[in-house]
Amino acid sequence: MTDQWPRYEVFKQDRTDGPFRNVGSVHAPDAELALMNARNVFARRPACVALWVVPDAAIARRTAEQLAAGDAVEIEDSGDSGRYAVFSKQSQRQTMTYVDYVGEVTARSVEAALQTAADTFTDVPGIVWWACPVEAITASPQSDLPGFEAATSKLFRMPNQYHTVFTMQKIRRGEEGEE
Amino acid sequence: MDDPTYDTRLAEFETRIARGEKIEPGDWMPDAYRKQLIRMISQHANSEVVGMLPEGAWITRAPNLRRKMVLLAKVQDEAGHGQYLYHAAETLGISRDEMIDALLEGRAKYASVFNYPTLGWADVAAIGWLVDGAAIMNQTMLAHCSYGPYSRAMVRICAEEGFHKKQGQEMIIRYSQGTPAQKQMAQEAIDRWWWPALMMFGPHDSDSPNTPQLMRWGIKTRTNDELRQEFLDELVPGIQALGLSVPDPEMHYDEATGHWVGREIDWDEFWRVIKGDGPMNASRLAARRKAHEDGRWVREAAAAYAQAMG
Repeated sequence: MTDQWPRYEVFKQDRTDGPFRNVGSVHAPDAELALMNARNVFARRPACVALWVVPDAAIARRTAEQLAAGDAVEIEDSGDSGRYAVFSKQSQRQTMTYVDYVGEVTARSVEAALQTAADTFTDVPGIVWWACPVEAITASPQSDLPGFEAATSKLFRMPNQYHTVFTMQKIRRGEEGEE
Repeated sequence: MDDPTYDTRLAEFETRIARGEKIEPGDWMPDAYRKQLIRMISQHANSEVVGMLPEGAWITRAPNLRRKMVLLAKVQDEAGHGQYLYHAAETLGISRDEMIDALLEGRAKYASVFNYPTLGWADVAAIGWLVDGAAIMNQTMLAHCSYGPYSRAMVRICAEEGFHKKQGQEMIIRYSQGTPAQKQMAQEAIDRWWWPALMMFGPHDSDSPNTPQLMRWGIKTRTNDELRQEFLDELVPGIQALGLSVPDPEMHYDEATGHWVGREIDWDEFWRVIKGDGPMNASRLAARRKAHEDGRWVREAAAAYAQAMG
């Protein structure tokens, strides 16, 4: 039995003007190694221009079902207000990503940030809301960019590099299969 | 079950699924739904991890640099796919360590297809076309799964595995048009992997007691036998078009149904291999345990580094 390392949620940005989107999680002893694991697991292919990792324990989450049921969002009045990053699931379409980064809100706790997010970003379909303190986010450094770009040259990972459908059609017509 | 609101909640849950909504972590779900998903996803994750082994053995013996890069990339993907799936299972309350320990201790199931040996390079080709081809059919169905994290992992995996199947099919095509010896290599590999690939779809529907509940809750949307039939209808004519054959003398096209039909799977072998008595079960587990032990110093170094920096 090994001691399981903490879980980090991973957010991937596909292009510099696009949102950071949750793609899954990794386990690591710290944020730096979480970024390294995240790159191996989630950036083998284009496109990736940056990654964020956030400790799972720093994130508060509510689904629309939980918000509708009025699951207690405890608003602590003791703390000072801080900045929170908020994310939401915006569609029921079949997709490979979960919640997208929406923006920041000011709130007194991470739980309060969830309610503030739903009240602030009213034009965003909040099927699920996530929030975390902005300082809980560790972003990949600029120096990682060449590493992400390297994936674009590995064309053999792309299904469109294999002309099997076309070749099978030619063989069925009685022509030579080789291109 | 003592929950007085259980029936109401169950009805709401089933209505949501019928509407095509995804169930997400934090949403209410019946305990049986959670358990079925943990069972399926953890087996699936372990299959990806063990699935690296039969082909990994051939990386050092690839016939050229391109084939070596392709195979490396494929095996690397499988390591990543195991991680996507462990992540999805974790959202249901099981830990990655529990799943990995169960695998290493021989308590966990994984796809029995990986308990067959890879005897030649053409096996890499046959695994790609047949085994990955079968996996993609099953996973395309699971991408429609009602549980959000599993569905998302499947969408990503299907997008990435397209090339796994195609690189294998491309090799079989080339061998089929090559020298008699190359053609024979391809034929022998198909002969070896045909039946294990058909077994990948799982037991016959009549021996699959979980299926009705899995379909009712949108975890599966098609039965084992439906998927197996789709595989036959695509693969048999494809293999025959290349002048190769499937190792089933009874295989024929049934005009009445429009489907390819062969003889029954050897279900005794199927259950024997699942229960751990396949040709490579012991070897696969030993290789996994060795890999885990060999990686211990890396985990220790990473933990020490994090502590020193922290």
